[in-house]
Amino acid sequence: MSNISIGQFFPGNSIIHRLDPRMKLVLTFIYIIVIFLCKNFYALGVMVLSLFVIVLVSKIPLKIIAKSIKPILIIIIFTAILNVFYVDKGNMLFEWHFLKVTTGGIYTAVFMIVRITALVVASSMLTYTTSPTLITDGIEQLLSPLKFMKNSVHTIAMMMTIALRFIPTLVDEFEKITNAQKARGADLETGTLLERAKALIPVLVPLFITSFRRAYELAFAMECRCYHGAEGRTRMKVMKYSKLDVFASLFILISTGGVVALNILFPHLI
Amino acid sequence: MSILKTDNLTFKYSVGTPFEVTALDSVNLEIEEGELVAVIGHTGSGKSTLIQHFNGLLKPTSGKVIVDGQDIWESKATLKEARFKVGLCFQYPEYQLFEETAFKDIAFGPKNMGLSEKEVEERVLRAAEFTGVTSEMLDKSPFDLSGGEKRRVAIAGVMAMEPKILILDEPTSGLDPKGRDQILHLIRNYKNETGSTVMIVSHSMEDVARYATKVLVVNKSKIVSYDTPPKTFSRAEELESYGLDVPEITKVFLELKKRGLPVRTDVYTLEFGLNELKRLREEGFKL
Repeated sequence: MSNISIGQFFPGNSIIHRLDPRMKLVLTFIYIIVIFLCKNFYALGVMVLSLFVIVLVSKIPLKIIAKSIKPILIIIIFTAILNVFYVDKGNMLFEWHFLKVTTGGIYTAVFMIVRITALVVASSMLTYTTSPTLITDGIEQLLSPLKFMKNSVHTIAMMMTIALRFIPTLVDEFEKITNAQKARGADLETGTLLERAKALIPVLVPLFITSFRRAYELAFAMECRCYHGAEGRTRMKVMKYSKLDVFASLFILISTGGVVALNILFPHLI
Repeated sequence: MSILKTDNLTFKYSVGTPFEVTALDSVNLEIEEGELVAVIGHTGSGKSTLIQHFNGLLKPTSGKVIVDGQDIWESKATLKEARFKVGLCFQYPEYQLFEETAFKDIAFGPKNMGLSEKEVEERVLRAAEFTGVTSEMLDKSPFDLSGGEKRRVAIAGVMAMEPKILILDEPTSGLDPKGRDQILHLIRNYKNETGSTVMIVSHSMEDVARYATKVLVVNKSKIVSYDTPPKTFSRAEELESYGLDVPEITKVFLELKKRGLPVRTDVYTLEFGLNELKRLREEGFKL
């Protein structure tokens, strides 16, 4: 349990790590949109290639990148199968009753697999190279022009930061309480679903109570340090765009340009 | 026959990953029935890992844990039996209270043992008496009790299972001196009256000196000593090298020895120290 890491941040000092979190957020967003705009394999190829460059530059081990795809493997496979059987285009390869497999179907399926994988890898690149705090800070800064809701933007960002910060603590706490109740003979592993749900009560009640207690303590500690929301609050680390951010945006801009050009040049999937 | 025995007990965290850590390294240990064992060791020495093996919460990577002559990992039944034979009370046990009333919370363990309602009630009342939980407190919600009262209810919850071995991980942490003394007293009373074996993980050498009959010293995943308090504390330098302390009174006598007085250095309680000083005076030393 304890190796759960939400946000899955991998500390490092690569170019990607050093990019301004706001820029990373915006560029990831653009990247995802462009991925969806790709109309053919050539355009998609450009995006995959640029993602590959980003991954290499970030120095995040490929093994860890592969791990990010694992949770959505089922979705990928499901989408691929659906596409193989539902798209009825091109040469017929195989037919059995109502099941038809065409070359068009295969192509679409492969296209989908690549697209979804690129999508997930791109967004995990953001979380791998940016600490959760920086991400929430970045979101807060990006949304701050919305003056009329500035305070709530700050509050939400703070809530997200706190929530992320406390996930490992809660996991620890859960383990501790589980062990304590097991030591009193609680049986959490066997029984019907209902029985097992019931058996969780001795764990969940203390967990909730501890969380509330912790929330009060944290609120108290924050007030002691004069925290009063966003009003008049300045930052210790002011985010600044650097040359790197210009390069990064140029890189994405060129890829986007490439995609647009290839989309016009090749109107068909393949 | 020893009530608790480990046979080359080794435990590693995250086996097969780059993060593999040996938390216990071939631990051999034999504890006789009726002892009050204090477990001391620096933070991260492996104490907590060790005690979690005694009731089978952790499975040894290799080696055996033998409770009451029975290898606890032999089958599911023996494991379950071990859970009830060895009562483990974690640090800050009040954070595991969950029932509507203190009575029900104390009854949680005995109920899980599958005892009859009457037997459960008897055990709850007995445990409540040991821990000084009044009948008024039993009817209250555990969350309405004070910190020290909660702690006692939580300890009663483990005692009510009437384990042959009761293990408490720092039962006095976070309590004021009065609450601390109360808890330690009730633990000793429990031991004396039921004759069961008790283990206490503690950081207070004063408490260890006053209550324990044996001291188990854990250092760097290994057991380095298992002996009586005077014998353990007479090796002050060795203990210090493990990042541990000796009782204040022992320090006084070590210093006296250094300054040339022929005193014993295994003094570990105030009374013992007083007698030692009296002896010196009788022998003609001017104090």
